Amino acid sequence: MKYINLSILALLLLAIQACTIDDQADPNGPSINSVLNNASRAELNLLVAGTESAMRVGWDGYVTATGSIARELYLFDADPRNTEDLLGKEGTALDANTFYLTGPYNTRYRVVKNCNLLLGALDNTSSVSEAEKDGYRAFANTIKGLMMFQVLNMLNDNGIRVDVADPKNLGPFVTKAEAFTAIRGILDEGYAQLNGADFAFSLSEGFAGFDSPTTFGEFNRALAAKVALYAGDNAAALTHLNNSFFDLNGDLKTGPKHVFSTSSGDILNPVYKAPGQSGDQIIVHNDYIADAEAGDARLQKFGLRLNPTSQDGLNGTHETRLYGSNVSPIDIIRNEELILIYAEASARTDKVNDALTALNRIRLEHNLNPLQGTPTSAALLDDVLFQRRYSFWSEGQYMFDLRRFGRLNDTFLPIDRPGDIIHTQFPIPLTEGQ
Amino acid sequence: MKYFTLKASLLAMAMCWISFSATAQFMVTGKVKDTNDEPLIGVSILVKGTTRGTVSDFDGSFRIEAPGTAASLEFSYTGFRQELQEVSATNNNIEVVMTEDITNLEEIVVTGLASSIKRSNLANAVSTVSSKELTGVTTQQTIDGALYGKLTGVNIVQTTGAPGGGIAMRLRGVSSLTGNNQPLFIIDGVYVSNAEIPSGLRFASGANAGNEEGASNRIADLNPADIESIEVLKGASAAAIYGTRANAGVVIITTKKGASGQTKVSLEQDLGFNSAINLVGRRSFTAEQVEAEFSAAERQKFEAAQAAGKVYDYEKEIYGEKGLISDTRLKVAGGNNKTTFFASGAFRNEDGIIKYTGYDRLTLRLNLSHEISDNLRLTTSTNYVNSYSNRGFTGNENEGGLSYGYNLAFTRDWVDLFPDENGVYPDNPNTAGNPIFVRDKTKNEERINRMIQGIKLDWTALQRDNYALRFALNGGLDFFLNETFVYVPETHQAQRNKDNGFIGAGKNKVYNYNYQAFGVFDYYTGNNISFSTQAGISYLNFERDLVFNKTTQLIPLQTNLTQGGTQEITQRLESEEEFGIVAQEEVNIDDKIILTAGIRLDKSSLNGDPNKYFAFPRASVAVNIANFDFWKINAINQFKLRAAYGQTGNSAAFGSLFTSMTPTNISGTSGFIVNTQQGNPGIEPETSTELEFGADFSMFQSKLGLEITYYQRNVENLLYQRSLPTSSGFTNEIRNDLDLKNNGLEVSLQLNPVRTSKINWTSGVNFWFNRSEITRLGIKGEGDANDIPSFVPPGVAFGLGLGTFYIDEGSPITSLWGSGPVQVGDVEPDFQLGWFNQLTLMKNLDFNFLVHWKQGGDVLNLTRLLTDLGATTPREFGNLEGFIEDASYFRLREIGLFYTIPMGDKFLESIRLGVSGRNLLTLTDYSSYDPEVSTKGGGGLSNSIEVAPFPSAKQAYFHLSLNF
Repeated sequence: MKYINLSILALLLLAIQACTIDDQADPNGPSINSVLNNASRAELNLLVAGTESAMRVGWDGYVTATGSIARELYLFDADPRNTEDLLGKEGTALDANTFYLTGPYNTRYRVVKNCNLLLGALDNTSSVSEAEKDGYRAFANTIKGLMMFQVLNMLNDNGIRVDVADPKNLGPFVTKAEAFTAIRGILDEGYAQLNGADFAFSLSEGFAGFDSPTTFGEFNRALAAKVALYAGDNAAALTHLNNSFFDLNGDLKTGPKHVFSTSSGDILNPVYKAPGQSGDQIIVHNDYIADAEAGDARLQKFGLRLNPTSQDGLNGTHETRLYGSNVSPIDIIRNEELILIYAEASARTDKVNDALTALNRIRLEHNLNPLQGTPTSAALLDDVLFQRRYSFWSEGQYMFDLRRFGRLNDTFLPIDRPGDIIHTQFPIPLTEGQ
Repeated sequence: MKYFTLKASLLAMAMCWISFSATAQFMVTGKVKDTNDEPLIGVSILVKGTTRGTVSDFDGSFRIEAPGTAASLEFSYTGFRQELQEVSATNNNIEVVMTEDITNLEEIVVTGLASSIKRSNLANAVSTVSSKELTGVTTQQTIDGALYGKLTGVNIVQTTGAPGGGIAMRLRGVSSLTGNNQPLFIIDGVYVSNAEIPSGLRFASGANAGNEEGASNRIADLNPADIESIEVLKGASAAAIYGTRANAGVVIITTKKGASGQTKVSLEQDLGFNSAINLVGRRSFTAEQVEAEFSAAERQKFEAAQAAGKVYDYEKEIYGEKGLISDTRLKVAGGNNKTTFFASGAFRNEDGIIKYTGYDRLTLRLNLSHEISDNLRLTTSTNYVNSYSNRGFTGNENEGGLSYGYNLAFTRDWVDLFPDENGVYPDNPNTAGNPIFVRDKTKNEERINRMIQGIKLDWTALQRDNYALRFALNGGLDFFLNETFVYVPETHQAQRNKDNGFIGAGKNKVYNYNYQAFGVFDYYTGNNISFSTQAGISYLNFERDLVFNKTTQLIPLQTNLTQGGTQEITQRLESEEEFGIVAQEEVNIDDKIILTAGIRLDKSSLNGDPNKYFAFPRASVAVNIANFDFWKINAINQFKLRAAYGQTGNSAAFGSLFTSMTPTNISGTSGFIVNTQQGNPGIEPETSTELEFGADFSMFQSKLGLEITYYQRNVENLLYQRSLPTSSGFTNEIRNDLDLKNNGLEVSLQLNPVRTSKINWTSGVNFWFNRSEITRLGIKGEGDANDIPSFVPPGVAFGLGLGTFYIDEGSPITSLWGSGPVQVGDVEPDFQLGWFNQLTLMKNLDFNFLVHWKQGGDVLNLTRLLTDLGATTPREFGNLEGFIEDASYFRLREIGLFYTIPMGDKFLESIRLGVSGRNLLTLTDYSSYDPEVSTKGGGGLSNSIEVAPFPSAKQAYFHLSLNF
């Protein structure tokens, strides 16, 4: 009997001993720590591609949310909040915990995080040269600046966080002015890093022509010009344009793009809507059709629907034709915008002739008559806004243009349903705990 | 280990003692019968005060050797009152008549991992559901669904009405926010998976997450007719011995066994049909109303359709099918003295209330028990399941044009959506999909191949009159391959020009195995005090390999994964490993006072430190006051007071330890981006501590039984995903600085008002409620400055704007909040009541019914939000304010009438005929399909939020069974 007990005892001990559970590693993906410690070139390049890829995610929400508020478009789909909250139905305020805010906000900051990871990884690796490191850093800072700028546009006077590298110790929400300074600083830092840098990474074909340190610098300066203009620094905007790919006589379409493909793991253009589709359609605000100048070539962006559509008391006869297919690229910033930045900054600094030249370039390009005589700066600015309205329809711009021009209100915008209100900025997301 | 050496020496001492006491013995033989003179098979017979026992055989006969010259024999049998008979060397041939006991005092309840206790000595409220209660009234679709209303403390929500499962079961309130909030299921010793594996249809429908897909849960694979009994350990005090898996309770399922004797064969056939419990209806329109609601142009369309007689009721068109149900079962049971077996085969075929939806399930079972020698018994149970279901598309979506309810909300009844003569389905002009097209042309299938195998070896190593040492080794494995297939043709209107068709095929492999080894030492002292000591180990290992293949840009008419332009694979690997050491001591003082104390030490690969043991203690006391000599009230044959304390745990869900990178792609170049969940590499399990008090009464010769239980369960360090400031780049993190309190009352009353030879009426009332409160949010000991503000847990609903669960200190965890934030509702019922009745007339006619009343508990009805927007809400609900509705209901859950015709034939023993129904009658003010609903699946907090569900069905059956 003793023998049995001893053997049971031994068995139990054995079982207990044998059962040491191994430390766990994630079988489903590389750990963040492996990236932060002596990252290989391949890992750095994966971060770059991941960053470029992720910038595109959430862009549709950015476009349709700001576009609805600016009465550019309606998103007719199954979520009522697209036609209720965003249009301020019966005075509804924007919610701080709803997709139209959190979607764009979270995705922008996720890209910022990836850029910060890349910057952190570069400080702790020896797998690439210093010149190459500067190339990566310039990329990271440029994209980070762009992402923060997009968030600032949404939150406006609420300010944003710019110091977000350490998730445990997030920096405070800074004012709009401070945020502009910070974003311009980040873009300038990226630009400075390009000096003498090497690109050890490649970008997608969307960056064709903007994929060397020099040409990427032109993209960086284009963004700097836009941010300067929004910050009210017209002189700096004009200076930055000179170092960008701005070309008063060049192709309006030139500029880096988000590209899409049907490759495995890639995404399709999220702002593209199939012609004639119902239930998920971007409907053009009827005022765009009514207000258009005769012959405006940009009206091609609007497709007449077989049947007019209505939802939630809103009507529309046209739907989006902005993108031709599910893999059409989306411009990040293009020469057309640079010309309009040039026109606006010139008009705001009373360089009337420069502004007029630029505007007429845009007007002619779109099959409109040039402006006659010598209009006042104010009249030119009116036309800048008008051109921006049609040139950048459904590209996530007009809400901020209206606000910059002091027109994001019901004096200038139509109220489609009695009781609707016009929002001017997005609240700080609930999860920020502010 | 000190413990073990102690035990060994105790054993050695006992052996020495026994060798000196050679005693006289005598043989007792006899027969056990019930009051109807029917022999009772399997009655356990014990020589009182010793370990000697036997069971009666198929004709009720027994033989037992008793020590000395006189002894008393204890006869116990589940469902009958215990009998005590004095025997002696001269009075050694006896006949024992046992009487029925509706309070089930003699029922054997499994409390330890290797031991059991009779109900009258139990210190916990353990609910048991017998096969008669489970499947005796009507045929059940799934085991978990069959339990509702039959036991206290349980709350069941249906995540989909599709045949083939989709049920979430919650015991004594919410116990976890992150993991599966559902109990651990153990079938014949096998830890089985109850996973809800989504089919990936969200990638076509745009649903937010897998839990919105209305997947089935895998307990649905079991055949309810194979079940002998179900024991439910509801709280930590009863389940502590299961340690780190048992935070949400434990459901112990025992399947049927054979008995030695004549082989019994029964063939059962059910035929029935499914139909929707309730259809909401559609908004009625006149031409004027169409113009006012929409436009003049729409009015023209309406009038044209009206003139052509083409105004439809699309809700009825989709949900109005009568689905045929056929359930065929063959059971064979028998055996000899050494070997018994139970074999069954069953095939269930069930069509849903939506055309082409349905469920087929083939189950095969073989349970074998063999006595290798007098002290060695081997038991195995083998279960194979093959099932197929087509579940349709329901629930939430975003512009996928697939979910029926979602698209019906926007569909106008005067638009013709039927195919033309060329088979071309028109596009739906008002929403992203044509539900008729979806019904006829898409697929959402699930196939299961599953094997559940349990094996158990019981070895009585030593048996003497006053002590016994046994060992129980058992192992189990549960393997299944779950294959999902979702197909949306390229011609679907939301697919055209975008993804151009969708195939999603999942190959999900789940492999669980567990084993345990226990030793139990029972020791009886001379003065009616007995000790039962057990110790052992338990190990389990779960592995999941979930592969999802997706093809889009399809080649027309092709349904093969290779036939498309874009192919994508995602794989998720998960593994869990756990090891536990258990020890428990039970002291029984003459059935008067029963004391138990135990501890389990567990470690798990899911914890930050996988080799750190966490201790889960338990202790309980039961005092049978009526067994004391001073008790003189004869009418009350049992009066027991009991108290129990215990702790259980729950480790974080797999993956919570890691912060990882997610792959992305741009234009064919791969990249990666940081995952939105920030891991916590130091995570520890959440624990639940429960204190339970109760009093049990049995009166008037056990014709009335009453059980009252109060519990308080504190869940500490609750694991939760908290939304992070998303400017950090992460959307959530795993924390565990949240405490929650659940308390509640459970009352169970059993009655046998009429018991004559012609009529036997038994009735049971179960009443229960639970209340919860979040008692802490934030790190202990830190001031208000660092306190964690109230928050919306990620993924539980659709934002504060529409109403959501909200974690707020001092509020119930089940409360719903709206913008403000202000509390706008609570999904917790005020109370629930189940009333079960069994009426037997003239021995052969059985009439049984179960009614279930749920009082209070809100549902957030977002289906109506959609139909309001699409102007399809019936006018009678047009003036309802807000979307929170009271979801009280009164339901005739089960009703059945059966007649048994005794054939007296050697070949055919009896024929049983019957009719029955499930959910035949529901009284509720709730405006939508069914107040039992959850659009977010079975896990976490999700419960009582409705978005375009698969409407629940009621069933009516005709039954025929032949017993050979």
